[in-house]
Amino acid sequence: MPVRPSATTRTSHLIDVRHFLLAGLLTLAAILARPALAAEPPPDAEKYLQLFVTEPYLELHLGPGRGYPVVNVVPRGDSVDVLYRRTEWFRVRTERGIEGWASQNDLTKAQLADGTPFRFNLGDRAGFTSHAWETGVSAGDYGGATLISAYFSRSFNEQLALEFTASQFLGNASNGYMLDLGLSHVFLPQWRLSPFVTLGTGIVFVEPKGTLVVPADRNDQTAYAGAGLRFYVTRRFFVRAEYRSHMVFTSRNENEEIDEWKIGLAFFY
Amino acid sequence: MENRSRVLLLTAALLPLTGCASLHWPWRARAAETPPAEEPSRYGDENAPPPRVIEPEVERRTVEVPKIEASNIEFGAFFGSLSIEDFGTNPQYGLRAAYHVTEDFFFEARYGRSNAGRTSFETLGGNIQLLTGDERRFTYYNLSLGYNLLPGEVYLGRGLAMNSALYLMGGIGSTKFAGDQHFTVNFGAGYRVLPTDWLAIHIDVQDHVFQSDLLGRDKLTNNFGAYLGATVFF
Repeated sequence: MPVRPSATTRTSHLIDVRHFLLAGLLTLAAILARPALAAEPPPDAEKYLQLFVTEPYLELHLGPGRGYPVVNVVPRGDSVDVLYRRTEWFRVRTERGIEGWASQNDLTKAQLADGTPFRFNLGDRAGFTSHAWETGVSAGDYGGATLISAYFSRSFNEQLALEFTASQFLGNASNGYMLDLGLSHVFLPQWRLSPFVTLGTGIVFVEPKGTLVVPADRNDQTAYAGAGLRFYVTRRFFVRAEYRSHMVFTSRNENEEIDEWKIGLAFFY
Repeated sequence: MENRSRVLLLTAALLPLTGCASLHWPWRARAAETPPAEEPSRYGDENAPPPRVIEPEVERRTVEVPKIEASNIEFGAFFGSLSIEDFGTNPQYGLRAAYHVTEDFFFEARYGRSNAGRTSFETLGGNIQLLTGDERRFTYYNLSLGYNLLPGEVYLGRGLAMNSALYLMGGIGSTKFAGDQHFTVNFGAGYRVLPTDWLAIHIDVQDHVFQSDLLGRDKLTNNFGAYLGATVFF
Protein backbone atom coordinates (compact mmCIF):
# COMPACT_ATOMS: atom_id res chain seq x y z
CA MET A 1 0.00 0.00 0.00
CA PRO A 2 1.60 3.29 -0.99
CA VAL A 3 2.11 5.60 1.92
CA ARG A 4 1.10 9.20 1.25
CA PRO A 5 3.78 11.68 2.19
CA SER A 6 2.83 13.52 5.33
CA ALA A 7 2.52 17.29 5.48
CA THR A 8 5.81 17.59 7.36
CA THR A 9 7.67 15.53 4.75
CA ARG A 10 6.27 17.73 2.01
CA THR A 11 7.28 20.90 3.86
CA SER A 12 10.77 19.56 4.42
CA HIS A 13 11.01 18.72 0.71
CA LEU A 14 9.94 22.25 -0.10
CA ILE A 15 12.61 23.61 2.24
CA ASP A 16 15.14 21.34 0.56
CA VAL A 17 14.23 22.64 -2.87
CA ARG A 18 14.46 26.19 -1.56
CA HIS A 19 17.93 25.58 -0.10
CA PHE A 20 19.03 23.94 -3.29
CA LEU A 21 17.80 26.88 -5.36
CA LEU A 22 19.48 29.29 -2.97
CA ALA A 23 22.80 27.47 -3.26
CA GLY A 24 22.46 27.46 -7.04
CA LEU A 25 21.64 31.15 -7.14
CA LEU A 26 24.60 31.98 -4.93
CA THR A 27 27.00 30.16 -7.23
CA LEU A 28 25.40 31.73 -10.28
CA ALA A 29 25.69 35.17 -8.70
CA ALA A 30 29.35 34.52 -7.91
CA ILE A 31 29.98 33.32 -11.47
CA LEU A 32 28.20 36.30 -12.99
CA ALA A 33 29.94 38.73 -10.67
CA ARG A 34 33.41 37.74 -11.85
CA PRO A 35 33.07 38.51 -15.59
CA ALA A 36 31.74 41.91 -14.56
CA LEU A 37 35.03 42.44 -12.75
CA ALA A 38 37.02 41.09 -15.66
CA ALA A 39 35.16 43.34 -18.11
CA GLU A 40 36.44 46.50 -16.43
CA PRO A 41 38.56 48.72 -18.70
CA PRO A 42 42.15 47.46 -18.85
CA PRO A 43 43.96 49.21 -15.98
CA ASP A 44 47.04 51.19 -16.84
CA ALA A 45 50.48 49.72 -16.39
CA GLU A 46 51.09 51.83 -13.28
CA LYS A 47 48.69 49.70 -11.28
CA TYR A 48 50.72 46.53 -11.66
CA LEU A 49 54.17 45.74 -10.43
CA GLN A 50 56.67 45.78 -13.30
CA LEU A 51 59.61 43.40 -13.06
CA PHE A 52 62.63 43.08 -15.34
CA VAL A 53 64.09 39.70 -16.18
CA THR A 54 67.77 39.49 -15.24
CA GLU A 55 68.32 35.74 -15.66
CA PRO A 56 68.84 34.47 -19.26
CA TYR A 57 65.07 33.87 -19.46
CA LEU A 58 61.92 33.59 -17.37
CA GLU A 59 59.73 30.53 -17.86
CA LEU A 60 55.97 30.97 -18.10
CA HIS A 61 53.90 27.95 -17.16
CA LEU A 62 50.39 27.13 -18.27
CA GLY A 63 49.07 26.80 -14.74
CA PRO A 64 50.05 27.67 -11.19
CA GLY A 65 52.13 24.56 -10.49
CA ARG A 66 55.44 22.98 -11.47
CA GLY A 67 53.55 20.14 -13.17
CA TYR A 68 52.01 22.43 -15.77
CA PRO A 69 54.05 22.73 -18.98
CA VAL A 70 56.17 25.76 -19.90
CA VAL A 71 54.40 27.55 -22.73
CA ASN A 72 56.49 30.69 -23.12
CA VAL A 73 59.74 32.33 -22.08
CA VAL A 74 60.55 35.98 -21.48
CA PRO A 75 64.11 36.97 -22.55
CA ARG A 76 66.56 38.85 -20.34
CA GLY A 77 65.92 42.60 -20.24
CA ASP A 78 62.21 42.32 -21.01
CA SER A 79 59.66 43.23 -18.38
CA VAL A 80 56.52 41.57 -17.10
CA ASP A 81 53.52 42.98 -15.24
CA VAL A 82 52.50 40.98 -12.17
CA LEU A 83 48.70 40.64 -12.29
CA TYR A 84 47.91 38.49 -9.26
CA ARG A 85 49.13 35.55 -7.23
CA ARG A 86 47.92 32.04 -6.47
CA THR A 87 49.90 30.16 -3.82
CA GLU A 88 53.58 30.50 -4.86
CA TRP A 89 52.79 31.35 -8.46
CA PHE A 90 52.31 34.73 -10.08
CA ARG A 91 50.15 35.47 -13.07
CA VAL A 92 52.24 37.77 -15.28
CA ARG A 93 51.76 39.57 -18.59
CA THR A 94 54.65 40.16 -20.95
CA GLU A 95 55.27 43.32 -22.99
CA ARG A 96 53.69 41.53 -25.93
CA GLY A 97 50.52 40.82 -23.97
CA ILE A 98 51.13 37.11 -23.41
CA GLU A 99 49.99 35.85 -20.01
CA GLY A 100 51.36 32.95 -18.03
CA TRP A 101 52.36 31.74 -14.59
CA ALA A 102 55.83 32.42 -13.19
CA SER A 103 57.08 30.74 -10.03
CA GLN A 104 57.99 32.69 -6.94
CA ASN A 105 61.54 31.27 -7.04
CA ASP A 106 62.10 32.56 -10.58
CA LEU A 107 60.49 35.95 -9.97
CA THR A 108 62.60 36.73 -6.92
CA LYS A 109 65.57 36.76 -9.33
CA ALA A 110 63.93 39.58 -11.31
CA GLN A 111 64.42 43.27 -10.58
CA LEU A 112 62.23 46.28 -10.05
CA ALA A 113 62.51 49.28 -12.40
CA ASP A 114 65.02 50.94 -10.03
CA GLY A 115 67.33 47.95 -10.12
CA THR A 116 66.56 46.57 -6.69
CA PRO A 117 65.72 42.88 -6.45
CA PHE A 118 62.09 41.82 -6.03
CA ARG A 119 61.43 40.57 -2.51
CA PHE A 120 58.42 38.58 -1.47
CA ASN A 121 57.35 36.96 1.76
CA LEU A 122 58.18 33.33 1.10
CA GLY A 123 56.63 30.44 2.95
CA ASP A 124 59.76 29.26 4.73
CA ARG A 125 61.40 29.05 8.16
CA ALA A 126 61.70 32.83 8.38
CA GLY A 127 57.99 33.06 7.67
CA PHE A 128 57.32 30.51 10.39
CA THR A 129 59.21 32.67 12.87
CA SER A 130 57.38 35.84 11.94
CA HIS A 131 53.99 35.94 10.20
CA ALA A 132 50.63 37.66 10.46
CA TRP A 133 47.99 34.93 10.25
CA GLU A 134 47.59 31.28 11.17
CA THR A 135 44.80 28.81 10.50
CA GLY A 136 44.60 25.20 11.55
CA VAL A 137 42.42 22.17 12.03
CA SER A 138 42.85 19.64 14.79
CA ALA A 139 41.26 16.59 16.36
CA GLY A 140 41.45 15.41 19.92
CA ASP A 141 39.68 14.73 23.16
CA TYR A 142 37.53 17.01 25.30
CA GLY A 143 36.67 15.46 28.66
CA GLY A 144 36.24 12.03 27.06
CA ALA A 145 34.36 13.29 24.00
CA THR A 146 35.81 13.38 20.49
CA LEU A 147 36.85 16.90 19.54
CA ILE A 148 37.00 18.63 16.15
CA SER A 149 38.52 22.07 16.27
CA ALA A 150 39.55 24.91 13.97
CA TYR A 151 41.39 28.09 14.88
CA PHE A 152 42.41 31.45 13.44
CA SER A 153 45.17 33.54 14.90
CA ARG A 154 46.42 37.06 14.30
CA SER A 155 49.98 37.78 15.43
CA PHE A 156 50.92 41.07 17.05
CA ASN A 157 54.60 40.22 16.94
CA GLU A 158 56.77 37.10 16.73
CA GLN A 159 55.60 35.88 20.10
CA LEU A 160 52.17 37.22 20.96
CA ALA A 161 48.98 36.39 19.04
CA LEU A 162 45.21 36.65 19.43
CA GLU A 163 43.47 33.34 18.79
CA PHE A 164 39.89 32.42 17.98
CA THR A 165 38.96 28.74 18.26
CA ALA A 166 35.70 27.05 17.25
CA SER A 167 35.24 23.44 18.33
CA GLN A 168 32.64 20.73 18.34
CA PHE A 169 32.72 17.78 20.71
CA LEU A 170 30.81 14.53 20.28
CA GLY A 171 30.53 12.34 23.34
CA ASN A 172 28.53 9.43 24.66
CA ALA A 173 26.65 11.59 27.17
CA SER A 174 26.48 14.90 25.38
CA ASN A 175 27.42 16.85 22.30
CA GLY A 176 28.26 20.50 22.12
CA TYR A 177 30.10 23.46 20.71
CA MET A 178 32.79 25.74 22.09
CA LEU A 179 33.94 29.20 21.08
CA ASP A 180 37.17 30.46 22.62
CA LEU A 181 39.03 33.72 22.37
CA GLY A 182 42.45 34.11 23.93
CA LEU A 183 46.09 35.01 23.71
CA SER A 184 48.99 32.74 22.91
CA HIS A 185 52.62 33.36 23.63
CA VAL A 186 55.39 31.51 21.79
CA PHE A 187 58.59 31.27 23.79
CA LEU A 188 61.19 30.67 21.09
CA PRO A 189 59.61 31.49 17.73
CA GLN A 190 62.86 30.96 15.84
CA TRP A 191 63.10 27.30 16.92
CA ARG A 192 61.72 24.60 14.68
CA LEU A 193 60.02 23.01 17.68
CA SER A 194 58.76 25.84 19.82
CA PRO A 195 56.64 25.73 22.96
CA PHE A 196 53.80 28.13 23.66
CA VAL A 197 51.23 28.92 26.34
CA THR A 198 47.64 30.08 25.94
CA LEU A 199 45.16 31.88 28.12
CA GLY A 200 41.62 32.89 27.31
CA THR A 201 37.91 32.75 27.80
CA GLY A 202 34.95 31.33 25.93
CA ILE A 203 31.46 29.92 25.83
CA VAL A 204 30.39 26.30 25.76
CA PHE A 205 27.01 25.03 24.50
CA VAL A 206 26.20 21.58 25.81
CA GLU A 207 23.40 19.41 24.39
CA PRO A 208 22.94 16.37 26.66
CA LYS A 209 21.63 13.35 24.81
CA GLY A 210 17.88 12.78 25.11
CA THR A 211 18.02 9.47 26.93
CA LEU A 212 19.84 10.95 29.92
CA VAL A 213 18.49 12.55 33.06
CA VAL A 214 18.82 16.27 32.27
CA PRO A 215 17.79 16.82 28.69
CA ALA A 216 18.13 20.60 28.88
CA ASP A 217 20.65 22.56 26.83
CA ARG A 218 23.25 24.53 28.75
CA ASN A 219 25.29 27.59 27.88
CA ASP A 220 28.16 28.32 30.21
CA GLN A 221 31.05 30.68 30.27
CA THR A 222 34.52 29.18 30.45
CA ALA A 223 38.09 30.21 31.04
CA TYR A 224 41.11 28.25 29.94
CA ALA A 225 44.84 28.04 30.32
CA GLY A 226 47.01 25.78 28.25
CA ALA A 227 50.35 24.91 26.76
CA GLY A 228 51.52 23.29 23.59
CA LEU A 229 54.17 22.69 20.99
CA ARG A 230 54.39 23.71 17.38
CA PHE A 231 56.67 22.02 14.91
CA TYR A 232 57.56 23.45 11.51
CA VAL A 233 57.13 20.80 8.80
CA THR A 234 57.71 22.45 5.41
CA ARG A 235 56.66 25.42 3.28
CA ARG A 236 53.77 27.07 5.17
CA PHE A 237 52.80 24.07 7.28
CA PHE A 238 53.36 23.19 10.89
CA VAL A 239 51.98 20.67 13.36
CA ARG A 240 50.40 22.04 16.50
CA ALA A 241 49.74 19.95 19.59
CA GLU A 242 48.02 21.52 22.55
CA TYR A 243 46.60 20.94 26.00
CA ARG A 244 44.00 23.25 27.54
CA SER A 245 42.50 23.12 30.97
CA HIS A 246 38.98 24.55 30.88
CA MET A 247 37.13 25.87 33.89
CA VAL A 248 33.40 25.84 33.13
CA PHE A 249 31.44 28.32 35.28
CA THR A 250 28.23 26.31 35.60
CA SER A 251 24.97 27.54 37.09
CA ARG A 252 25.24 24.69 39.60
CA ASN A 253 26.99 24.93 42.95
CA GLU A 254 30.38 23.81 41.76
CA ASN A 255 32.36 24.63 38.67
CA GLU A 256 33.52 21.96 36.29
CA GLU A 257 37.07 21.32 35.13
CA ILE A 258 37.54 19.77 31.71
CA ASP A 259 40.78 18.74 29.98
CA GLU A 260 41.24 19.23 26.28
CA TRP A 261 43.97 17.51 24.25
CA LYS A 262 44.36 18.00 20.54
CA ILE A 263 46.78 17.75 17.65
CA GLY A 264 46.43 19.11 14.17
CA LEU A 265 47.87 20.67 11.06
CA ALA A 266 48.09 24.42 10.64
CA PHE A 267 49.52 26.90 8.15
CA PHE A 268 50.66 30.51 8.29
CA TYR A 269 50.24 33.31 5.73
CA MET B 1 57.24 120.24 13.63
CA GLU B 2 60.54 119.59 15.16
CA ASN B 3 59.44 116.09 15.96
CA ARG B 4 58.44 115.34 12.38
CA SER B 5 61.77 116.47 10.95
CA ARG B 6 63.60 114.35 13.50
CA VAL B 7 61.61 111.26 12.38
CA LEU B 8 62.34 112.03 8.75
CA LEU B 9 66.04 112.41 9.39
CA LEU B 10 66.19 109.22 11.43
CA THR B 11 64.37 107.26 8.69
CA ALA B 12 66.72 108.60 6.08
CA ALA B 13 69.72 107.57 8.20
CA LEU B 14 68.34 104.04 8.73
CA LEU B 15 67.48 103.32 5.09
CA PRO B 16 71.09 102.98 3.79
CA LEU B 17 71.86 100.62 6.68
CA THR B 18 69.39 98.03 5.32
CA GLY B 19 71.29 97.95 2.04
CA CYS B 20 74.77 97.58 3.57
CA ALA B 21 74.51 93.81 3.97
CA SER B 22 73.95 93.23 0.25
CA LEU B 23 76.81 95.40 -0.88
CA HIS B 24 79.91 93.73 -2.31
CA TRP B 25 82.69 95.30 -0.39
CA PRO B 26 86.09 94.94 -2.04
CA TRP B 27 87.72 93.22 1.01
CA ARG B 28 84.80 90.71 1.17
CA ALA B 29 85.29 89.80 -2.49
CA ARG B 30 88.99 89.07 -1.94
CA ALA B 31 88.21 86.88 1.03
CA ALA B 32 85.85 84.77 -1.11
CA GLU B 33 88.51 84.27 -3.79
CA THR B 34 91.14 82.89 -1.40
CA PRO B 35 90.95 79.04 -1.20
CA PRO B 36 89.94 77.43 2.13
CA ALA B 37 92.79 76.98 4.53
CA GLU B 38 92.52 73.18 4.82
CA GLU B 39 92.77 72.55 1.06
CA PRO B 40 96.58 72.18 0.75
CA SER B 41 96.92 69.86 3.73
CA ARG B 42 94.28 67.46 2.36
CA TYR B 43 96.66 65.00 0.69
CA GLY B 44 99.01 64.44 3.54
CA ASP B 45 96.39 64.03 6.27
CA GLU B 46 94.67 60.66 6.60
CA ASN B 47 92.01 62.01 8.92
CA ALA B 48 90.88 64.64 6.43
CA PRO B 49 87.36 64.31 5.05
CA PRO B 50 87.09 62.65 1.59
CA PRO B 51 87.02 64.96 -1.44
CA ARG B 52 83.60 66.21 -2.43
CA VAL B 53 81.86 64.12 -5.08
CA ILE B 54 79.87 65.91 -7.75
CA GLU B 55 76.23 65.67 -6.79
CA PRO B 56 74.13 64.36 -9.70
CA GLU B 57 71.23 66.59 -10.63
CA VAL B 58 69.10 63.57 -11.68
CA GLU B 59 66.49 62.59 -9.11
CA ARG B 60 66.57 58.93 -8.12
CA ARG B 61 63.55 57.04 -9.39
CA THR B 62 61.59 55.49 -6.56
CA VAL B 63 59.46 52.46 -7.38
CA GLU B 64 56.38 51.93 -5.32
CA VAL B 65 55.63 48.24 -5.04
CA PRO B 66 51.88 47.82 -5.43
CA LYS B 67 50.15 45.12 -3.43
CA ILE B 68 49.87 41.91 -5.39
CA GLU B 69 46.34 40.52 -5.11
CA ALA B 70 46.15 36.95 -3.91
CA SER B 71 43.60 34.59 -5.41
CA ASN B 72 43.84 31.58 -3.12
CA ILE B 73 40.26 31.20 -1.95
CA GLU B 74 37.72 29.08 -3.74
CA PHE B 75 34.01 29.23 -2.95
CA GLY B 76 31.04 27.53 -4.52
CA ALA B 77 28.22 25.03 -4.39
CA PHE B 78 27.71 21.44 -5.38
CA PHE B 79 25.00 18.89 -5.86
CA GLY B 80 25.06 15.17 -6.34
CA SER B 81 23.90 11.97 -4.80
CA LEU B 82 24.64 10.43 -1.44
CA SER B 83 24.26 6.80 -0.61
CA ILE B 84 23.26 6.66 3.06
CA GLU B 85 23.91 3.16 4.37
CA ASP B 86 20.62 1.26 4.80
CA PHE B 87 18.61 4.28 3.67
CA GLY B 88 19.11 4.28 -0.08
CA THR B 89 20.69 6.79 -2.41
CA ASN B 90 19.37 10.31 -2.31
CA PRO B 91 20.09 13.71 -3.80
CA GLN B 92 22.34 16.02 -1.83
CA TYR B 93 23.59 19.56 -2.17
CA GLY B 94 25.82 21.94 -0.26
CA LEU B 95 28.51 24.57 -0.16
CA ARG B 96 32.26 24.30 -0.24
CA ALA B 97 35.12 26.68 0.42
CA ALA B 98 38.83 26.02 -0.02
CA TYR B 99 42.06 27.81 0.69
CA HIS B 100 45.07 26.91 -1.44
CA VAL B 101 48.11 27.04 0.81
CA THR B 102 50.77 25.83 -1.62
CA GLU B 103 50.66 24.62 -5.19
CA ASP B 104 50.26 21.09 -3.83
CA PHE B 105 48.07 21.39 -0.74
CA PHE B 106 44.75 22.99 0.07
CA PHE B 107 42.33 23.03 2.98
CA GLU B 108 38.67 22.55 2.29
CA ALA B 109 35.53 23.06 4.34
CA ARG B 110 32.32 21.54 3.11
CA TYR B 111 28.75 21.61 4.31
CA GLY B 112 26.15 19.34 2.77
CA ARG B 113 22.69 17.99 3.35
CA SER B 114 20.52 15.23 2.10
CA ASN B 115 17.37 13.38 3.12
CA ALA B 116 17.45 9.70 3.92
CA GLY B 117 14.94 7.51 2.14
CA ARG B 118 13.21 4.43 3.55
CA THR B 119 14.98 1.25 4.53
CA SER B 120 13.92 -2.02 2.91
CA PHE B 121 12.50 -3.00 6.28
CA GLU B 122 10.21 0.04 6.30
CA THR B 123 9.15 -0.48 2.70
CA LEU B 124 8.25 -4.13 3.30
CA GLY B 125 6.76 -3.58 6.72
CA GLY B 126 4.04 -1.19 5.61
CA ASN B 127 3.43 1.57 8.08
CA ILE B 128 6.59 1.12 10.15
CA GLN B 129 8.59 4.33 10.46
CA LEU B 130 12.10 4.02 11.88
CA LEU B 131 12.74 7.76 11.83
CA THR B 132 10.64 10.89 11.86
CA GLY B 133 10.82 13.44 9.06
CA ASP B 134 13.34 15.60 10.91
CA GLU B 135 15.54 12.66 11.86
CA ARG B 136 15.79 11.65 8.21
CA ARG B 137 17.63 14.84 7.42
CA PHE B 138 21.32 14.07 6.91
CA THR B 139 23.55 17.10 7.37
CA TYR B 140 27.31 17.08 7.60
CA TYR B 141 30.34 19.29 7.56
CA ASN B 142 33.95 18.37 7.12
CA LEU B 143 37.36 19.98 7.17
CA SER B 144 39.78 18.30 4.81
CA LEU B 145 43.29 18.52 3.54
CA GLY B 146 43.64 18.08 -0.20
CA TYR B 147 46.63 17.18 -2.34
CA ASN B 148 46.85 18.03 -6.04
CA LEU B 149 48.22 14.74 -7.29
CA LEU B 150 48.07 15.02 -11.07
CA PRO B 151 48.08 18.51 -12.54
CA GLY B 152 47.51 18.68 -16.27
CA GLU B 153 45.48 19.90 -19.14
CA VAL B 154 42.32 18.71 -20.89
CA TYR B 155 41.54 19.35 -24.52
CA LEU B 156 38.07 19.92 -25.88
CA GLY B 157 38.03 19.79 -29.65
CA ARG B 158 40.73 21.59 -31.61
CA GLY B 159 40.85 25.00 -30.07
CA LEU B 160 40.13 24.64 -26.37
CA ALA B 161 42.56 23.59 -23.66
CA MET B 162 41.81 23.87 -19.95
CA ASN B 163 43.92 23.37 -16.85
CA SER B 164 42.96 20.46 -14.68
CA ALA B 165 44.08 18.56 -11.61
CA LEU B 166 43.27 15.27 -10.00
CA TYR B 167 43.33 15.61 -6.23
CA LEU B 168 43.05 13.43 -3.18
CA MET B 169 41.47 14.58 0.03
CA GLY B 170 40.81 13.42 3.54
CA GLY B 171 39.55 15.01 6.70
CA ILE B 172 37.37 15.01 9.74
CA GLY B 173 33.96 16.40 10.53
CA SER B 174 30.60 15.69 11.98
CA THR B 175 27.36 14.23 10.68
CA LYS B 176 23.92 14.86 12.11
CA PHE B 177 21.60 12.02 11.32
CA ALA B 178 18.82 10.10 13.04
CA GLY B 179 18.71 12.45 16.03
CA ASP B 180 22.40 12.09 16.85
CA GLN B 181 25.71 13.61 15.86
CA HIS B 182 28.58 11.41 14.80
CA PHE B 183 32.28 12.05 14.48
CA THR B 184 32.96 11.42 10.81
CA VAL B 185 36.06 10.70 8.79
CA ASN B 186 35.88 11.51 5.11
CA PHE B 187 38.19 10.69 2.23
CA GLY B 188 37.98 10.71 -1.51
CA ALA B 189 39.30 11.99 -4.78
CA GLY B 190 38.23 14.61 -7.22
CA TYR B 191 38.90 16.14 -10.58
CA ARG B 192 39.01 19.87 -11.09
CA VAL B 193 38.83 21.54 -14.50
CA LEU B 194 39.36 25.30 -14.88
CA PRO B 195 37.70 26.80 -17.98
CA THR B 196 39.19 30.13 -16.87
CA ASP B 197 41.61 31.01 -14.08
CA TRP B 198 38.82 32.02 -11.73
CA LEU B 199 36.23 29.31 -12.38
CA ALA B 200 36.60 25.64 -11.47
CA ILE B 201 34.29 22.74 -12.21
CA HIS B 202 34.67 19.83 -9.81
CA ILE B 203 33.64 16.23 -10.03
CA ASP B 204 34.46 14.28 -6.92
CA VAL B 205 33.61 11.24 -4.85
CA GLN B 206 33.93 10.95 -1.10
CA ASP B 207 33.18 8.37 1.54
CA HIS B 208 31.83 9.55 4.89
CA VAL B 209 32.53 6.96 7.56
CA PHE B 210 31.00 7.06 11.03
CA GLN B 211 29.99 4.73 13.82
CA SER B 212 26.25 4.27 14.23
CA ASP B 213 24.07 2.15 16.54
CA LEU B 214 20.83 3.05 14.83
CA LEU B 215 19.86 -0.49 13.86
CA GLY B 216 20.57 -2.10 17.22
CA ARG B 217 24.29 -2.72 17.17
CA ASP B 218 27.33 -0.51 16.74
CA LYS B 219 28.66 -0.57 13.24
CA LEU B 220 30.81 1.49 10.94
CA THR B 221 28.66 2.96 8.19
CA ASN B 222 30.03 3.99 4.80
CA ASN B 223 28.17 6.74 3.03
CA PHE B 224 29.44 7.34 -0.47
CA GLY B 225 28.72 10.56 -2.23
CA ALA B 226 29.35 11.76 -5.76
CA TYR B 227 29.31 15.47 -6.48
CA LEU B 228 29.32 17.91 -9.32
CA GLY B 229 30.17 21.44 -8.29
CA ALA B 230 31.32 24.83 -9.43
CA THR B 231 33.61 27.15 -7.49
CA VAL B 232 34.92 30.61 -8.08
CA PHE B 233 38.43 31.76 -7.08
CA PHE B 234 38.71 34.97 -5.09
